[in-house]
Amino acid sequence: MKKANYLKRTTSGTIFDICNVTLLVIMSFLFVYPFWNQFIVSLNDGVDATRGGLYFWPRQFTFGNYLYIFRTTGMLDALGWSVLRVVVGTLTKLLCTGMLAYVTTVKHFSFHLGLRRMFLITMYVGGGMIPTYLWFIKLGLLETFHVYWIPGLLSAYEMMIIASYIEGLPDSMFESARIDGAREITTYLRICIPLCVPVFAALGIMVAVGHWNSWFDVVVYNPSGKYDTLQIVLRNILIQSDKVAKLMSDATVGSAAVKSAAARISTVSMRAATMMIVTLPIIVVYPFFQKYFIKGISIGAVKG
Amino acid sequence: MQNIGKKHRKTLLQRWKGEKELWFWTLLFIAFWVLFFLMPIYGITYAFFDYTPGRQLSWSRFVGLKHFQAFFKSRDTIKIIRNTLVLSGLNMTVGFVMPIILALMLDELRQGTFKKVVQTISYLPYFISWVVVASLAISLLNSEGVVNEVLIKTGLAEKPVPFLTEGRYFWGLRTFLDIWKGLGWNTILYMSAIAGIDQSLYEAGAVDGITRWGSVKYITLPSIMPTIVLLFILSIGSLLNLGYEQNLLLGQPTTQDYWEIIDTYVYRYGIQKGRYSFSIAISLMKSVIGLVLVFSANSLAKRHSDYSIM
Repeated sequence: MKKANYLKRTTSGTIFDICNVTLLVIMSFLFVYPFWNQFIVSLNDGVDATRGGLYFWPRQFTFGNYLYIFRTTGMLDALGWSVLRVVVGTLTKLLCTGMLAYVTTVKHFSFHLGLRRMFLITMYVGGGMIPTYLWFIKLGLLETFHVYWIPGLLSAYEMMIIASYIEGLPDSMFESARIDGAREITTYLRICIPLCVPVFAALGIMVAVGHWNSWFDVVVYNPSGKYDTLQIVLRNILIQSDKVAKLMSDATVGSAAVKSAAARISTVSMRAATMMIVTLPIIVVYPFFQKYFIKGISIGAVKG
Repeated sequence: MQNIGKKHRKTLLQRWKGEKELWFWTLLFIAFWVLFFLMPIYGITYAFFDYTPGRQLSWSRFVGLKHFQAFFKSRDTIKIIRNTLVLSGLNMTVGFVMPIILALMLDELRQGTFKKVVQTISYLPYFISWVVVASLAISLLNSEGVVNEVLIKTGLAEKPVPFLTEGRYFWGLRTFLDIWKGLGWNTILYMSAIAGIDQSLYEAGAVDGITRWGSVKYITLPSIMPTIVLLFILSIGSLLNLGYEQNLLLGQPTTQDYWEIIDTYVYRYGIQKGRYSFSIAISLMKSVIGLVLVFSANSLAKRHSDYSIM
């Protein structure tokens, strides 16, 4: 089955294997350790963490950093906006781009290829950052939540992937619906979407991760901080240690519990805990969606 | 089918009746296309005016190529172009070769848990945001970070290495993080190319007494060469789009001479400083060069294989 079975086992082959496995173990360590390091720092007492020397295990275990962060820094608001953005952005994009992809695959529609080409162009040409920004100001999209999902409703890349998936489906399923007099929107919702669940799942995951991870568009389009997402909060904590200091002094007027928690917090541990809050959802769902994205990229590779 | 013959005799009116609903949706899509694609393109014309926000374009003064000339007279220009080319050059060489090596290494493993675990781990960073990756880098590499701690304890360094605050480390830092984040993900296409290799080649090789190293060098690598060449050609097309979030997140005022690239310059002058026309002019030049690169890459790829972007 596999080529290693054909080749004779030799000493040089064994040395080859040992080197290969060793290098891959080192590489895996380089991938995992940064997360692990920050994970244990986030679970360690803040003041103690500033002493350094935390490598593989927390020295003074505590959940205090997480409790403190959730109580004081607007983290819950940011979490809310992030989740809302992921849900709204992903669902609306799949629904609308799916419809676009569906229309571009209707063979008896005289403009189906024209429509597809119109959107394909957008992958290679565009107004660029500044004209888009100025135009969004005119549209009144700046400083709104809608800027997160409306501009992404239709996109060429996802259209191509869904369209090539639909073209692989048997035509007769759609034809029979049309002969029965179903409207196109009904055909799309009742027949196309159920058949496209695998490709929607694969793309949905990528789109959702993209929304969760998005940072720059928040910086550009929502500078006031009203719709800050988790990524922004993390960034703020990272660059503004003075802000952290201020939060800590603010907290001294809070309840006794907050006060005693604040006394044990440091920038190092707070940063680590925030990073974990941003990263953990992805790490937790990651094993479940792994099988989908491999499928997704191999669909995309054909016409990507 | 019976309506194939009829198709040509259909009148325009009949066609319209049959396509009415489809046209309704198409018009909605075209409206979106105009609103979010065409209008920003129209905005490029601001590059030839002295545009002030809040005023009609017709009231702004036409200045021709003034902003383009201003860019080339600026002292920053050479620095920005140098940084852009160096960083994308590093991406296209080191960053391009590493995934191939990893794919070959993974292929040499026997199917099993270890291989799956390594693959799973290597894909993970791709799904982590740049904000988190930059935060990890800053937390681990700063002067009190764990990396410097270990370097000093083991005697490899006498005092903390200023990875983040000294410009000469920036190119290496960014390239390392780019590779770290995308390495596993970028192996996927190579892995599927390797999976498509005819196994009888290895069988024949075994008969001829080929070694493990030889099978990689003379069978696997040549077999995926078409994929490698194609991906390399296509990467030429995105030469100038090398990503700027990393630079904004990792860059510090002290290292700016090394991280400022075209995109970050456009962002800083356009959105932060409000010099809209000037920054549109710069990004227009970049887009034109980028488009030329995409289409030359595409025609090269077409000659090389049947690949096409349209």
